[in-house]
Amino acid sequence: MKADSNLKKVLTQNVFAVTAECGPPKGADPGVIKKKGNLLKGYVDSVNVTDNQTGVVRLCSMAACAILRQEGLDPILQMVTRDRNRIALQSDVLGASSLGIRNILCLSGDHQSFGNQQQAKGVFDIDSIQLIQTVRRMRDSGQIIGGEALSDPPELFIGAVANPFADPFDYRVIRLGKKAAAGAEFIQTQCIYNVKRFKEWMKQVLDRGLDKKVYILGGVTPLKSARMAEYMSKQVAGMDVPGDVIDRLKGVDPKDQRREGIRIAVETIGALKEMEGVRGVHIMAIEWEDAVPQIVEEAGLYPRPRISEE
Amino acid sequence: MITAERKPMAEIKAMLAPYRKILVVGCGTCVAECASGGEKEVGLLASALRMDAQIEGRTIEVREMTIDRQCVYEFIDKLTGVADRYEVILSLGCGAGVQAVAEAFPKMLVIPALNTTFIGETKEPGLWVENCRACGDCKLGYFAAVCPVTRCAKGLYNGPCGGSKNGVCEVDPDTPCAWQLIVERLENTGRNDLLEAIYPPADWSRQQGKGPRKIAREDQRSES
Amino acid sequence: MDQRTAGLNIAIFFCQQLDVNQDKNRRSLEKELGPRIRFFPLPCSGRIDPLHLLRALESGADMVYLIACPEGACRYREGNLRAKKRVRYAQQLIEEIGLEGVRIEMINRTAEMPDDIDAIARELLARDAKVSISPVRSNAILSFMQK
Ligand code: SF4
Ligand code: SF4
Repeated sequence: MKADSNLKKVLTQNVFAVTAECGPPKGADPGVIKKKGNLLKGYVDSVNVTDNQTGVVRLCSMAACAILRQEGLDPILQMVTRDRNRIALQSDVLGASSLGIRNILCLSGDHQSFGNQQQAKGVFDIDSIQLIQTVRRMRDSGQIIGGEALSDPPELFIGAVANPFADPFDYRVIRLGKKAAAGAEFIQTQCIYNVKRFKEWMKQVLDRGLDKKVYILGGVTPLKSARMAEYMSKQVAGMDVPGDVIDRLKGVDPKDQRREGIRIAVETIGALKEMEGVRGVHIMAIEWEDAVPQIVEEAGLYPRPRISEE
Repeated sequence: MITAERKPMAEIKAMLAPYRKILVVGCGTCVAECASGGEKEVGLLASALRMDAQIEGRTIEVREMTIDRQCVYEFIDKLTGVADRYEVILSLGCGAGVQAVAEAFPKMLVIPALNTTFIGETKEPGLWVENCRACGDCKLGYFAAVCPVTRCAKGLYNGPCGGSKNGVCEVDPDTPCAWQLIVERLENTGRNDLLEAIYPPADWSRQQGKGPRKIAREDQRSES
Repeated sequence: MDQRTAGLNIAIFFCQQLDVNQDKNRRSLEKELGPRIRFFPLPCSGRIDPLHLLRALESGADMVYLIACPEGACRYREGNLRAKKRVRYAQQLIEEIGLEGVRIEMINRTAEMPDDIDAIARELLARDAKVSISPVRSNAILSFMQK
């Protein structure tokens, strides 16, 4: 019997979902992943595994997902179009399903010039929306690009990302609509610090009825320090960290800034829980996975529901 | 136009090191427009090579010649009777020019002096920007005449990535985000319908196909 | 040691707008120094091309000057600003073959400088030599400006 996506079950049963991110190591040790997985186990419904994020070579997302699955977690395979052409992507989609991975998050990926292989050739054969469409057709029609039939279709719950804080602002919701039309079922957003702007975006989402088409999970990243907040605000493209958040962190003693960062994250989740159309939260605690249990507990999202296998 | 930049002198010198009789050949078309391989640049490079040899106490013979186009046989033919008096041709043509010259002189050594860079436009004097990758299936009609293949750092067909901010690309703050331009131009030209359209995967066989591409036009070919 | 005593060959490109009588004024110095000094009047310093500068060096000049009007006082608005960039370009190119970039120097005329080109040139000759005789001519058969 094939197990279904836990994330899908949680969302379809109208439970406010919790996902978290796990970054694989820059090495071949499976222990790191097991450790991170066990930290998160019981506190989240599913775990995203990044795919060579920011163009830095790491243990592959697929292998890490397989390990997490063995550890009893429900992994979300992140797949970027930067490094693989359509042959490799479709092949990996089949491979993921065969390993029992049940969720996929389709992205274009950070540009290779940001990473540690700056001389790499960026592939970008297809883009994230075309990947969503491809996976959806593979799953629902059992066809690859070009129409050839598969002997067995993959089983995957299909996700995509959205950044409500990038430009052009009014196009952001149109792009979300395109992702939904392409076949995305759940959406994880960029980290939210500017709750006001996120609300404006959500209003556009509701106006277009997109909340009925996709499950939206708001992104939350706890800030470790005022310095990190400033760095994110200035150096990370498409990130919106308002001045009052930075000031709030600056206002507390450096040794208490982590605590304050968690508090801000918990408050943001509180706001998201109240927001119409938001169906869950995606916690990206970058190299700080052990903060996740605390955030989940303080946000009143613990324990996670146990959804029985049918 | 095809744009190019001169290679560093050290690289050119290293390639020319074994030779004494050098024919420096410029091209009067694209690379002249982008000031990398026209008559003037031939003069500069030849002068630098001669001085370099003098500094090192070597004797070399350098002849300068610039032909209208290095990629068309009729013009390359002007080198016939001259080329064979030299040991090597240093070509300031684009990659196509270098190869066409080499093909016209099967026994001649031909060395590139330029790094051929892109197909682009002269934006302002001294500034050239890339805007076409010759994909073989021009999609500009769907993207308000802004090429996403070339001008978006990720070649995205279906809208801006999450890094587009204040109109500039996340990859290079000196470059406008192609998608900001596409969205604006689609709106300005009344093609809002295309904003929501999903563009399917591109046909890269039109670009990469089976190796080098060819255009054969019967009406243009000679009888013999 | 000044440039004259050091035996340097000097080429001077200059904007004609600097000295209306340049034709007459430069004669005595040309007579005095013969092929060791050469003047190249330009309608505007903006007309300088890196190729001129290189050819002067190649023909045996040890120092090449470009004398332009003060910044902001170019008759053709930005000729002297363009000239500055071309000089920089030529400097970089000669540095690539191991010649000192300072062998090419651009001078924007200042209020303290004399009016006629002859006097300006004499001042330049009296300056301390920054470079020695160019290896381009010391290692090769001298053919300074004979062509
Ligand atoms: S779509 Fe293709 S042919 Fe058209 S400008 Fe872009 S790369 Fe060139
Ligand atoms: S910022 Fe714009 S141009 Fe740059 S990669 Fe993203 S979509 Fe493309």
